[in-house]
Amino acid sequence: MATTFVVAVGATTTRYTAIIKEMNVLFSGQVMVVSEGAIVIQAIPIGGGLLPQNYTENMIRNLTNVEKVVSILFITPLGVGEIIQPVPVNFSIGIPVQDWHSMLGPTPLREGGRFPTNESGTEVVVGASLADQHNWLPGTEVMINGYMLEVSGVLDTKLAILNRCFVMPLKLTQKIYNYPKSVNIISAKPIQGCPQEKLAESIEQRVEFVDALTEDRRNDMIQPVLAQIETWNLGIQTLIFIMSLILVMTVTVMSVSERRRDFATLDAIGAPLSYVFRVVVFEAGMIGFLGGALGIIFGTFGALSLASLYTDISLSQFFPSIFEIASPIYMLEIFLSVVAICCLGGVIPALRAMKMRIAEVLRAEY
Amino acid sequence: MRIKTVDLTRKFHVGSSEIIAVNKVNMEVKESTFIAIVGPSGSGKSTLLNLLGLNDQPTRGKILLGNVDASLLPNQERRKIRLLCMGFVFQTFNLLPTLTALENVELPLALAGQPFEEQRSKATKLLESVALENRLHHRPKELSIGEMQRVAIARAIANDPKILLADEPTGELDSKTAEEIISLILDINKKQKTTTVVASHDLKIIEAADITYTIEDGKLELET
Repeated sequence: MATTFVVAVGATTTRYTAIIKEMNVLFSGQVMVVSEGAIVIQAIPIGGGLLPQNYTENMIRNLTNVEKVVSILFITPLGVGEIIQPVPVNFSIGIPVQDWHSMLGPTPLREGGRFPTNESGTEVVVGASLADQHNWLPGTEVMINGYMLEVSGVLDTKLAILNRCFVMPLKLTQKIYNYPKSVNIISAKPIQGCPQEKLAESIEQRVEFVDALTEDRRNDMIQPVLAQIETWNLGIQTLIFIMSLILVMTVTVMSVSERRRDFATLDAIGAPLSYVFRVVVFEAGMIGFLGGALGIIFGTFGALSLASLYTDISLSQFFPSIFEIASPIYMLEIFLSVVAICCLGGVIPALRAMKMRIAEVLRAEY
Repeated sequence: MRIKTVDLTRKFHVGSSEIIAVNKVNMEVKESTFIAIVGPSGSGKSTLLNLLGLNDQPTRGKILLGNVDASLLPNQERRKIRLLCMGFVFQTFNLLPTLTALENVELPLALAGQPFEEQRSKATKLLESVALENRLHHRPKELSIGEMQRVAIARAIANDPKILLADEPTGELDSKTAEEIISLILDINKKQKTTTVVASHDLKIIEAADITYTIEDGKLELET
């Protein structure tokens, strides 16, 4: 039970921590400009105001240290004042068609797909997870916010954020979500040799009511949250492991008490104390071995169920990516910890077993 | 191996009262002798046997095994003597329930560091010698009482002990099975020259013994 809980909760939080960390991957080395006070997770704005696209873009582009400026409209399926979902079901990202790769990098498309070329067209690229969930292929028509669009390609990537997104031309995004000439984030790439901090400083000096976030600053903003998640995770694990330790110790003490005669017999035969110790610790370790193995199976299933619950994706679709949700190294760590804790839980009962003497046991029984 | 006790005493404290289970016992058991110790229930037979088997520590007195005072030996040495020089047969057999008959007999051999193949072949031979060749892989609960006691005897003699101690070995058995067990113990005594001490009420054991002692209230006397 303990292993199941630790794996289910631990794998889920570890997974989402990893997703948060990977959000920065797409904008590495760039300064992200958002409206002042906007809530940003890494490079993804999840709350706050909009920026006037042309004005802000031009102001930034006119700075001397800027190599490239890309305006992005990032839409989560939330209205103003709604509560943020733990894991949004999907995102829409609007990017100017000439700048696809400034955000997507070298991300390929599945066979038969292509990136949209018409800024005002109706073509959209979708993430693999969304496409698999709805059986979307290039050419499939999809309804987004009341507009009928056509899937032109499926992103072939393991990045969680891209797996669950619609990427479409910026103008199309502005149109269907009704944010004309507005964006909520602008990426600014500094010229070679110019540190991000210097560019960020000059942006904040020249453009009013914006925050220019360097990669370090974005990391610093999210770091306390990640640290807190990890601390909670560790705290829960420690608590559960301590409870398991006490439980295993109790079970083993009871088992040893029920077999007083057996341990006393071993003593009468002349078994070394180390042998008795090993027998009890081994038995406790076996509880950990079997319980740990079962717990990992059930825990992994639990983690998949949680992921399914949060994303509305059917459980079966998570099975191919089972080891991305519950990483094998994490499972191995938990398994070894459980075995070690159970062995530790066997120590006190083993010491009790070592003290049993046949004469005392028989005298107590007759 | 010769066993000699000098003023061997064992006292227990129950609440505020003191019980003298074995009271200044002086006895000598010569090598290869078959000794019977008889006495009513609670007379101190089992306590004396546990003292002789080094399962218990005397309150006072000496237990000489050969010329060594075993009562002064550290626990580790006493354990080694129990493993290599002594075999103990209990009234209630004390077989390990999770092990098969074969594994129960192999256990002392394994603890003595015998290689696995030797353990297996010797344990098999021992069980054959007590007519249990068809019960090698049965667990204790699948055996009859007489079979369990025979497995216990095979286990007790696995390491070719010089001393065999048996605490009421026929106490739980019917008369026919008891006779078989007595003749088995006698056979071991005669063939392997094992010094044998048996605590029992059984008249047949008393008849078979070279020397019989009676014990009452912890005091041992030679039966004449």
